[in-house]
Amino acid sequence: MPREHLLKIGVSGVRGVVPEFLTPSLTLHFAQAFGTYVGRGRVVVGRDTRLSGPMLQHAVNCGLLAAGCDVVDVGILPTPTIQIYVEHIRARGGIGLTASHNPPEYNALKLFNKEGQFFNQYERNELIDLYHQSDFTQATNAEIGYVTTDPGLAKAIHIDRVLAKVDVDRIRRRHFRVALDAVNGAGSVMTPGFLVDSLNCRLDAIAIDPTKVFPRIAEPRPDTLGELAALVLKTGAEVGFAQDPDADRLAIVDENGRVLDNDDVLALAVQRALAVVPGPVVVNLTTSSAIDDIALAFGRKVYRTPVGEANVVETMQAVKAAIGGEGSAGGVIFPAVQLCRDSFTAMAFLLDLMAESGKTVSELVAALPQYVRKSGKVAFAHGRLGGLMQALEEGFPEAEADRSDGLKLLWPDRWVHVRASNTEPILRVFVEAKTEEAAEKLYATSWGLLTA
Amino acid sequence: MRGDSGLRISHVGLRGIVGRGLTAGHILDFAAAFGTFIEPGRPVVVGRDPRASGRMAWEGVVSALMACGHEVIDLGVVSTPVVQHALQRLDAAGGIAISASHNTADWNALRFLGPRGTYLSTAEAGELLDIYHLRKFRFVAWDQLGGQRFDAGALDRYIDDLAAVFDLPSLRDFRVVVDCCNGTSALILRRVIERYGLDLVLINERVEGVQFAHEPTTSARMVELQLGPLMRPLGAHAGFLFDVDSDRVAMADEQGRGVSEEMMLPLLADHQLSRGPGKIVITNLSSSALLEDVAVRHGGRVLRVPVGRQAAMDALAAYRPEQIAVAGEGTGAVMMPQFRFIYDGIASMFAVLTMMKERGRTLGQLLADYPQYSILKGEVRLESPRVPELLLDLLASYPDGRIDRTDGLRVSWPDRWFHVRVSHTEPIIRVICEQRGAPPQELFETLMDKARSYS
Repeated sequence: MPREHLLKIGVSGVRGVVPEFLTPSLTLHFAQAFGTYVGRGRVVVGRDTRLSGPMLQHAVNCGLLAAGCDVVDVGILPTPTIQIYVEHIRARGGIGLTASHNPPEYNALKLFNKEGQFFNQYERNELIDLYHQSDFTQATNAEIGYVTTDPGLAKAIHIDRVLAKVDVDRIRRRHFRVALDAVNGAGSVMTPGFLVDSLNCRLDAIAIDPTKVFPRIAEPRPDTLGELAALVLKTGAEVGFAQDPDADRLAIVDENGRVLDNDDVLALAVQRALAVVPGPVVVNLTTSSAIDDIALAFGRKVYRTPVGEANVVETMQAVKAAIGGEGSAGGVIFPAVQLCRDSFTAMAFLLDLMAESGKTVSELVAALPQYVRKSGKVAFAHGRLGGLMQALEEGFPEAEADRSDGLKLLWPDRWVHVRASNTEPILRVFVEAKTEEAAEKLYATSWGLLTA
Repeated sequence: MRGDSGLRISHVGLRGIVGRGLTAGHILDFAAAFGTFIEPGRPVVVGRDPRASGRMAWEGVVSALMACGHEVIDLGVVSTPVVQHALQRLDAAGGIAISASHNTADWNALRFLGPRGTYLSTAEAGELLDIYHLRKFRFVAWDQLGGQRFDAGALDRYIDDLAAVFDLPSLRDFRVVVDCCNGTSALILRRVIERYGLDLVLINERVEGVQFAHEPTTSARMVELQLGPLMRPLGAHAGFLFDVDSDRVAMADEQGRGVSEEMMLPLLADHQLSRGPGKIVITNLSSSALLEDVAVRHGGRVLRVPVGRQAAMDALAAYRPEQIAVAGEGTGAVMMPQFRFIYDGIASMFAVLTMMKERGRTLGQLLADYPQYSILKGEVRLESPRVPELLLDLLASYPDGRIDRTDGLRVSWPDRWFHVRVSHTEPIIRVICEQRGAPPQELFETLMDKARSYS
């Protein structure tokens, strides 16, 4: 029976359905554990536009104050903006209240260290232990701090960092016609200004009211971006941008109203980034081999990590990467701006590529190395996972195996990656090959082995 | 109890030393219990005193109430009486005042209020406690969560209510020194000065969160210490000292003498009974017998109930408001029917000044009108199992007096009485005895020795 994860305390913090499962009390205690862990000092707290945000933020503020921290309330802001601000003001850490692309009844606490980066696995484990031990700092009246509000500085700091890495004049001169769907999320408070004022675009936008609920499924995917695609066609926009509720991820619609494959979005960003900064590329195991081809053209190395933003970020930091990301998840991570997923960097990079090359989005995509990708899910019974993996591996004895996250089997021109979901008892199967036929064949064979 | 964490969860609410006994978790859970207990879907009024921990507690309270689907009407830093007055005007389900009142700065507390600003009845408070202990809260769905808005007008509307009962401009002739103890009375009285031009000299008026100028105790000793030396140099007619929440008050007369906290209730009983003779004064078994003298003067009577606000509230509920002159304690906490029975030191102050104005007398002269009583109070640490033995022993020792056993033991004679009872908050026995004229030293010592013999 599939379990529904109404509450999960794990790798990326705490996530759950509010308020029945992710209760104000649990939120308070987790925030107090966080405050205990990072120590007394300032902690930045921000959120996306979910209706449960204010309620949970009061609980977070309560827990942080109880742990003797001062709260810097930045209100509704994109997750990358919060992360940048944590680092900029040299805070002890930060908490972002956002369940990213999850449905609106969910919310989550995203935890940032003093560099404004996601907690790494060691930090996470220590924090979770602390949470379970309930041995929190209990500040006395004299030790309790203050809640202050950010006067709006955070947005400008983020935008300045992005603009410093592209040719702003070149973009501004083009006066691009752009469409935007901010899903009434945190991007609503920043993206229109960024596109119009900073980059001189002509903007037609939908879903930029942060007081309203999400008008579409929160995850920006081809099947959820129909309205944006229609807007692009109607207004004759050169590009359409779609953010998720906390504006860390970006989906792109080309001038023909076609939603780009997220792997292609990342590939374009990698192309742009490698032209301006040194260093290798870090992507997860499921990201397209197109990245390897592009890196090779720039003479750069590619590192592969297990799936998960935190894993990518950890390796990126270790190898001083130029850029990184996760193809399927639609995340571009550019450390010269901040070591986190950032839709603003991704937007600026694409517009910069368009301005520099004079090409349309579809032309830019057509020039990328071409691969065919397929994916699917296989449900499995408890205890059967190991056997399935083994069956797959034995089915392809000639392939090179990578077991760092599930199982990835590689050939020079194709690969299959199978991993168990973190949240449901299903196996996710990804296949990539040079041709439709090869991809189809590899997918079918793998499926057969996994369901035999 | 010195040295313990101070956490107390009872019918009166939740209080304790922040970080030592009282944690953010207690506060949020108790507020969630309240949000579950009250009528769903209706707003809740929240105010807090200036303690630094008040902001922390406020965040937890607001979160819990929103999760239960209540809109929070935030009054900011205000006294508990201001919250209660706001509740009388608003169509709200209830209120929470975050204040440890007369405790030191390291304490805090949640005080729960009913829809009209009243304190909860014993039955209601019991139900609230049960919900807290069960921790089964009525949270609403994610799209039904409550919102929050700030109401900056509550202070002025509270002053409107006071001005409707007291002729405030007529009190301009008095010079009054007030020790605000860095609490909410400063906010109220500054506004009263602005609006009515009263000659109030405020000291310790900086609203503070961490360090109060002195312990916020409303005792004769404290008011004499703080205001005594100022009264004559300033030519003041009366002096008042409030606790941080301004629900309690102590007085100094024009000579700079501290007035016993026991005198506030008789004074206001006199004031109220002179306007409504024959009414009832509700008080507890430990307050001065002077009340009976005052009541007799105006054809009224005194109803004595067990110690604690809860017993007073339950007694009040048995009468119509127009039958009651006043209700209160020997601690100086007094409730008047004009304000729907809430403890409010500011209202008490204006009632005393009004009395001075109407009778053309100074505070010292007013007090000199009453027969002299002397009260002695003591406490003995005693293990709970020994309490019944002590009480039975005392009962057997004083067969000639009038016996009341509703709260420990009170024995009274025409000119003196004693009351021996167990504290609600500490493992001690309290001994109180009073006599007309000279202090009842011998009776007091005998009682104390007896109590000590059981400890």
